[in-house]
Amino acid sequence: MFTNNPFAAVTDFFSPLAMQIYIVLMVLAVVIGTLLDVYHKGSAKFFAQRKAKSRAAAERPLSGGETFSLALETVAEAGVSGEFCKWPRRLSHLLMMYGFFIYITTTVVLVFCYPSAASVPAILSGLWTLGASMILAGGLWFFFLLRVNVAFDGDSPFHLGRADLFVVSLIASVAFALLWNYAQTAYANPAATWITFGLYIFFTTLLFVGVPWSKFAHMFFKPAVAFQRRVEEANGSSDLPSPSAENYIVRS
Amino acid sequence: MPTYTDMTRCDGCGECVDICPSDIMHIDPIYRRSYNIEPNMCWECYSCVKACPQNAIDVRGYADFAPLGHKVRVLREPEKGVISWKIRYRDGRLKEFAFPIRTTPWGSIKPPQDYEKPDMSAIGSQMLAHEPEALHVEFPVLPAYKTRA
Repeated sequence: MFTNNPFAAVTDFFSPLAMQIYIVLMVLAVVIGTLLDVYHKGSAKFFAQRKAKSRAAAERPLSGGETFSLALETVAEAGVSGEFCKWPRRLSHLLMMYGFFIYITTTVVLVFCYPSAASVPAILSGLWTLGASMILAGGLWFFFLLRVNVAFDGDSPFHLGRADLFVVSLIASVAFALLWNYAQTAYANPAATWITFGLYIFFTTLLFVGVPWSKFAHMFFKPAVAFQRRVEEANGSSDLPSPSAENYIVRS
Repeated sequence: MPTYTDMTRCDGCGECVDICPSDIMHIDPIYRRSYNIEPNMCWECYSCVKACPQNAIDVRGYADFAPLGHKVRVLREPEKGVISWKIRYRDGRLKEFAFPIRTTPWGSIKPPQDYEKPDMSAIGSQMLAHEPEALHVEFPVLPAYKTRA
């Protein structure tokens, strides 16, 4: 299972080019979906207005070097999901985020570099499985235990809403990807293989085509907002009060 | 004016939902961020404003310290035991206030259920439950009451 290239079996029915075109179409779906989301919510207009407001209220303009340093700090914060204040949400988010990067990268490498090779380097196949498993672990933990409407708002852990479109399609996509890989290697049942493959493609397509209606685009918006906030704090235009100079905690 | 959540700051942690005494802070079913479901039932207790770890909730100040047309922002610094307020008045003036809120670390006060259950003899005591240890003071030993012979 850990050296198997699940995509090689598909080449019996679809050419490697078809799989590569599918990936390109999914990338286009994300780009178009994000642009539609930006247009629908007016996010670009909002950010432009906020930037202009911040520049007008700035107490001191930032140099290019300072702005670059703030951008690096934002990337570092996003890299450890530093915006989350509670460690379980942070850990679950990190599992999903790094799992997603590993899973997507290895999928692209497998489809573009080893499209018809049944056996691939163990590291590649192992990373693909690891990435999918990380998403599954973080996603199920988040879905059943950490979702704020479940943890604080009294909803059932099985409650489904539009806010869940992203996480549910992501979890289902990787779950069926793992089952599909397992069905090919351990179970070797053609019917099970094709059923799990069909469900894998359905949920993967839903994940990427559903961008305008899901929370997928938050992975682009959140770092943009975090960067803008850092700029506002640095140039003195933040609307928040200044941090207190005194510490009033006198006893543990 | 009721509370207002800045969606770009909120990370959907649920602290405001948990603390709202009116139970009107809920989670948006589309964006999974908090919002006030019943603005006219908000009595502006500021609980959610002070509980929000992301400083994402904005509220209008009471009329006795900020007349109409202003904006109030709050900064929560639990590690320093202080909450600061910044008021932007409608004529553009800015005022900042820092309010110490406690002298012990956030979350360090034990809730009543974490103390041992008092036995029945405690019902005859003049002290309240878990006193004096819950007050972090040593209770003075009072001299015995002397009765006249």
